Amino acid sequence: MRFGRSWLFLFLSLFLVLCFTNHLMAGEPSVAEAAKEAVAATGAKGSNIPWWLWPVILFGFTFIIGIIAPLSGVGGGVLFVPLSTAFFPFSVDFIRGAGLIMALTSALSATPQFIRKGLANIRIMTPLVCVSMVTSILGGIVGLWITNAFPAGKYYITIALGLVLLLIFFVMLTSKRVEFPEVKEQDALSRALALSGSWYEPTLGKILEYKVTRLPIGLICFAAVGFIAGMFGLGAGWANVPVLNLIMGAPIKVAVATSMTIISINDAAAAWIYLAKGAVLPLIVVPSVLGISIGARIGAKLAVKAKPAFVKILVMGIMLLAAALNIIKGLKGLHII
Amino acid sequence: MAEKNQVHVDPANLVFAKAMEIVTYVGIAVMIVFGLLYLFGLSSFVDMKAAIAHWHLPVGKFWHEVAGIHISGYDWFLKNLTKMDCLSMLGICLLALAPLAGILAAWPKVGATHKVLVLLFLILVVEYLFAIFKPIILPGVGGH
Repeated sequence: MRFGRSWLFLFLSLFLVLCFTNHLMAGEPSVAEAAKEAVAATGAKGSNIPWWLWPVILFGFTFIIGIIAPLSGVGGGVLFVPLSTAFFPFSVDFIRGAGLIMALTSALSATPQFIRKGLANIRIMTPLVCVSMVTSILGGIVGLWITNAFPAGKYYITIALGLVLLLIFFVMLTSKRVEFPEVKEQDALSRALALSGSWYEPTLGKILEYKVTRLPIGLICFAAVGFIAGMFGLGAGWANVPVLNLIMGAPIKVAVATSMTIISINDAAAAWIYLAKGAVLPLIVVPSVLGISIGARIGAKLAVKAKPAFVKILVMGIMLLAAALNIIKGLKGLHII
Repeated sequence: MAEKNQVHVDPANLVFAKAMEIVTYVGIAVMIVFGLLYLFGLSSFVDMKAAIAHWHLPVGKFWHEVAGIHISGYDWFLKNLTKMDCLSMLGICLLALAPLAGILAAWPKVGATHKVLVLLFLILVVEYLFAIFKPIILPGVGGH
């Protein structure tokens, strides 16, 4: 019963934050236009919201995302970027920059523990990162170029983000995780690189050994995922984990841990593009990282009690809503609807 | 019993994790401490009210309106390290350097056991350095 109440509280909190941010923009043709009008009317003073309230709103918003993210198995960035794009007045450039730093901080904090437990392994991570780092840098370059080179670029990016979210929604809807996939034989490349390892599985009370296979196919998939992650400032756990688990045969815990390690390296490389373009604002990043870090600690404790099916449905619902809102916002910006 | 369940982790992995962890903790501390000082109103490069008034603009136009500058590279915050927001940016740079620190620290250990990995590490480091220096050596490529 107590658990049910905490879910109700969580749901209501998210609902209130979304309503509040939506209320701030209510009745306006678009967020950007509203902000422009406010600037024109008040000089450089901006809208009628006190400046100090923005960091507080961001902290509350990311705190709730931080609670939800560990429960659902997605990174915080994949929730932060679409919801912020839909509900907050920031340029999509700053949202992607903040999303990337949030995903990077979460991944860097988790990776050392995963490595010490044997769940993540630099031998598996290195070839995949060699490919996906290049494409994530390219994605970051292309994303910033589109929004700055074309007058309507940000609307195309917003629509593309909505479409990517729809893709993530269908990946989550259709993918089935395999806890301990059986790899009978490794491909030649995986064997040559000795892509195997072991970890202690407490639920079984013994050390389990694993090996991964189909490295060439995995490399192609990681190239595509890296580009999307860099372009939209998303962590790529939603795609990395199914590729590692279902295609390459890594046990689900190993897939999650290896994905985190890969995200930490890809996002660190992509972050330089955003830093060099001035797309990382401490005003947005600091309260967001603080909020998601504190929220994630609570979320990790709740995850022990949570019902995975309910959490998955909750996150998929948010994804679908954010996808629809982003596509509508982009189409409105282009005056198509 | 505890020894029986002890997993053997490659020493290169452990060195990689340790180096990454240290740089991450320092980076988070620098980013948060100076970021909070910035939010509490200590000297700043970007005025918060001006930032809020213009943060709906694409990044290039934002910097033109807020600071009258065109940003391409890192000198805008590296030359203003007396400002709290620029010091907070330094913390974010440290976070972005953490995996590179891990790779460089693990390199000697990897070289001793996995010769193929040395080549892959070399490719990784080159890619990483390209990501860092690309905005300086090729400022127009991919930018506006």
